[in-house]
Amino acid sequence: MLLLYFIVLLHSLPGPRQMSSDTIVKVVAPGVSAHAGKDAVVNVSVLVKKGYHIQAHKVNDEFIIPTSLDIVENNIIITGKQAFPAGKKFKIEGSENYLLVYDGEFKITIPFKVQEEIPKGKYTLQAKLHYQACDDKTCFAPKTINFDIGVQVI
Amino acid sequence: MRFSVKLATSILTAFAFVSVYGQAEQMIGQPAPLFELKDTRGNVHSLDQLRGNYIVLHFAATWCPFCNAEAPNLEELYQKYRDKNVRVFIVDVREDAALVKKSLEHFQFSFPVLLDEDGTVSAKYAPDGVQPALNRYEVPIASNLIIDNDGKIRFYSLLNTASFDAKLTKLNQKLDELLNVAH
Repeated sequence: MLLLYFIVLLHSLPGPRQMSSDTIVKVVAPGVSAHAGKDAVVNVSVLVKKGYHIQAHKVNDEFIIPTSLDIVENNIIITGKQAFPAGKKFKIEGSENYLLVYDGEFKITIPFKVQEEIPKGKYTLQAKLHYQACDDKTCFAPKTINFDIGVQVI
Repeated sequence: MRFSVKLATSILTAFAFVSVYGQAEQMIGQPAPLFELKDTRGNVHSLDQLRGNYIVLHFAATWCPFCNAEAPNLEELYQKYRDKNVRVFIVDVREDAALVKKSLEHFQFSFPVLLDEDGTVSAKYAPDGVQPALNRYEVPIASNLIIDNDGKIRFYSLLNTASFDAKLTKLNQKLDELLNVAH
């Protein structure tokens, strides 16, 4: 009976969480359910390894690489304006400047609408997180993490 | 207890600084690796031909926040020492020339910005054993060096984001020291 419950529960979930990572950043994208033609939201979690920080989405220098997220063009959903948290101030010693950064864990909220004509079923969206990290000694070249977002159209 | 934690933190911080700084120290007194690079205007600069000058090298990338933070001070340093047999160069590491030129317009550098397009020169300046997880060309980014008039490295500060010297105080001090001895 318990086994049957778990099987039913498993099938009712929108899809597995997708996890992608490199040595500094881990991205966790939960599966999400949505109706065709309706609005929905997916919250992507980003975990920055302890001791590191990455530049925030909103930066105060045009040459700094901000954290950004792209969903690869597809015919399944239309995305809205993504919401990123505000960055924390990171003082640059010996300078009036400060950086706006993320450390620890933060979430990126992506509102979307499933296209009207999409049939029910499971879909996988490809996404990319771009970031540039530093630790207490050095800065690393900009990187991109590719990850998937599972969407169950119901 | 709180005092002990503070003391331990201070000792660890000092050790980390000495450790990072010390790792670059292995190159002090060594002949600087030779290079020949084009600047953003297409002029070629060869370290060999610059012999007789004091050279300040700053390895940079446009995305590097610490490089950008010290950029105005590097221009100031250039203006201060330009008539004292000191030449200043930024070596941009593995970036598109158009992007570097855009950065150049922003910072209005009066000295040449050299293009190390494949990172070969930068990799030669990476001290052995430092940041082994990084590509060798990434290691010197945001570092400052002084090469003396005999082609030897006399100062090498690797980036230390925790105790960054954006005002280039130590670099200025070392230049003063070298120039005072020289004259």
